[in-house]
Amino acid sequence: MKNNRRLLKDRLLNGLTYLSSAISVLVLTLVFIFVFSKGASTLNLKWFTNDYWSVNMYLSFPASGSEVYTIPKTLPAQSQFSTRYGFAVEDYVDESNQKMIRIVYIDPKSPLLESTVLTPGETFGDVQPIKVNMTVQKFSVVDAQGEIHSAGAIVKQDAAQFIETLDKESVSVSSVYVQTIGGGIRGSLIATLYLILVSLLIAIPIGIMSAIYLNEYAQFSKLTPWIRSSIELLTGVPSIIFGLMGMLVLYPITAMVGASGTSVLLGAMTLSIVLLPTIIRSTEESLKTVPDHFRSASLSLGANRSQTIFKIVLPSAIPGILTGVLLSIGRIIGESAALIYTMGTFVNDDPKLLSGGTSLAVQIWSVMGGEVPNFQLASAISIIILAIVLILNVSVKFLANKLRKTW
Amino acid sequence: MNHERTGFKHTHNYRNKLRQDAFFKLLFQASAILSSSMIVIIIGFILVKGLQPFMAAYQYGTRDFFSFLVGTVYRQDSGIYGVGFIVINTLISGFGALLIAFPLSVLTALFIAKIAPKSVASAMQTVVELLASIPSVVYGVFAAGSITVMVKNLAALFAIKTAGGSSLLAVMLLLAIMIFPTITSIAITAIQAVPEDLEQASLALGATRTQTNFKIVLSSAKSGIFAGAILGLGRAFGEATAVSMVAGNKLFGPTFNPFDITRTLTSTILTGLKETTGVDYDIRFSAGIVLMVVILISNLSINFIKNRIGSDA
Repeated sequence: MKNNRRLLKDRLLNGLTYLSSAISVLVLTLVFIFVFSKGASTLNLKWFTNDYWSVNMYLSFPASGSEVYTIPKTLPAQSQFSTRYGFAVEDYVDESNQKMIRIVYIDPKSPLLESTVLTPGETFGDVQPIKVNMTVQKFSVVDAQGEIHSAGAIVKQDAAQFIETLDKESVSVSSVYVQTIGGGIRGSLIATLYLILVSLLIAIPIGIMSAIYLNEYAQFSKLTPWIRSSIELLTGVPSIIFGLMGMLVLYPITAMVGASGTSVLLGAMTLSIVLLPTIIRSTEESLKTVPDHFRSASLSLGANRSQTIFKIVLPSAIPGILTGVLLSIGRIIGESAALIYTMGTFVNDDPKLLSGGTSLAVQIWSVMGGEVPNFQLASAISIIILAIVLILNVSVKFLANKLRKTW
Repeated sequence: MNHERTGFKHTHNYRNKLRQDAFFKLLFQASAILSSSMIVIIIGFILVKGLQPFMAAYQYGTRDFFSFLVGTVYRQDSGIYGVGFIVINTLISGFGALLIAFPLSVLTALFIAKIAPKSVASAMQTVVELLASIPSVVYGVFAAGSITVMVKNLAALFAIKTAGGSSLLAVMLLLAIMIFPTITSIAITAIQAVPEDLEQASLALGATRTQTNFKIVLSSAKSGIFAGAILGLGRAFGEATAVSMVAGNKLFGPTFNPFDITRTLTSTILTGLKETTGVDYDIRFSAGIVLMVVILISNLSINFIKNRIGSDA
């Protein structure tokens, strides 16, 4: 009887551990399902190279002769081809569920390639060829009676109706209003790369040198525990505090080199401080694994201390340093709170080191912050971030196995 | 002569080597001191900036420190800044999250370290690592798109209207998910460090495997598990981006109703910044100080509790 009750209780307690493990698996699965179901449709190759902001263009192109263009054989069936103007369009639905007409093909001889800017101003008359992937808002077509009609998405036409209007009713086109496709992540990708490069460029040398000092020079110094624990304390500081610090302490430094306001450089400098403890710790860990007789051998052969460190100790510690670097890259890619104040939240399609910009993570924050959060785009960027983080994790594990080699 | 020349070359080389050594030692020392002084710089600068609004000479009108600390209204538009209720909100959401995550973490850690077969354990370990590596902004998107919907539907069951699901409950659930891997991975390490002979002794005395796990292993790993809880709590208090996405931004409080919107210290610091001068900017640094003090005090008090429990055993 008592045994039975004990067995039951044991089973119950064991069951609880199974249950909580199952819950954690469930949560992970839910996160992945959510992100993929919302974001997968946005993912395509073009998206990586597209700008975030779509640009409106108001153009005109010369009247075409009596030339008749032929449909290229490679054109997909759902495309509509204009034999009169030599280009093809397709129906397409954008991220905010609006029906659009997208240009998918332009004949090399088409007059569309000779378009010029119609907007009054400095650029008036400049050649601005219409390109594949732009969306057609409006074509103002002139009919045989000389009257002007509108055609395109603006008058709720689909691709087929649009081409029919162009080919059957028009004599010439007086003006064109097209848009480039936005919603891309090119700017953020570039800014993220800048961020990784610059912050590692600052953090790696300082981090490695600090680790060398702690492990090679000051192992038994009384100051070392203090230095070590104040570096450890940095790991407990919330990243938003780093953001505040960046605005306060580092901003004057970036202002001196010419940045006005938030900049990628400021973000990178802030992050380099965030990364220091990670790099120092992993470097120190691997310095510790380098056996002392390596050092003794080098010293007894006449090398001095710095030669020993640079030529013997550091090369043996490379896997550990690499682990630190990979972990750091993961941190940089995921970091948002420390960057929102230091890099700004305005998605910049052409980020420079000294201008504002957003990393991928901050772009998520930015597109989620508007009146209507853009879940599609945010989730699509999340997929990219998750993929990178996963790859980094796997490589860290791989490296950790390498690190375990015995001398 | 030949001999002299080599001798000279030797000493020259030797001196160079010594000089090189001294130079690099200085360089290494300087970077170590630079790295370790960062924490001092951070705390120092934020203290100075954050205390400015309460100084008599403050250019945008001196604020009363006491009413800032215990205030129950935070309105940028009318210039009223009280963080008292925000501190309470932060504590509620943080400890609420800990309350949800802690048992799950400990049980999962026990499962991974002691109960599961090896292959399952290593798969579960990967799950925990993956959860830990998901950046907070991704959790934020997930929470804003799914946890809030869940909370909204749950509230609808009780005929309560929520602000699109942004609520205290959503914040707690989100934070629970985010601190779960932190606590779990530290608890795993703590459990694995329990000496084998303790378990053997318990088993030899006739306790079952499960009894040993729950009574001997867990209580021996207590101090490590608490360390994990402290770290998790620190993360919960300091988490900014994801929390801001689901907190709403309540102007007064504190918030005790789980379906009501809330406001934490981090969401206060992070959201609604327009100018980079003036009270509204400076007061964020004051909130930053309060955040660091909250984290410090809660760490110390958990440590205190840990020691009390430790001495009872």
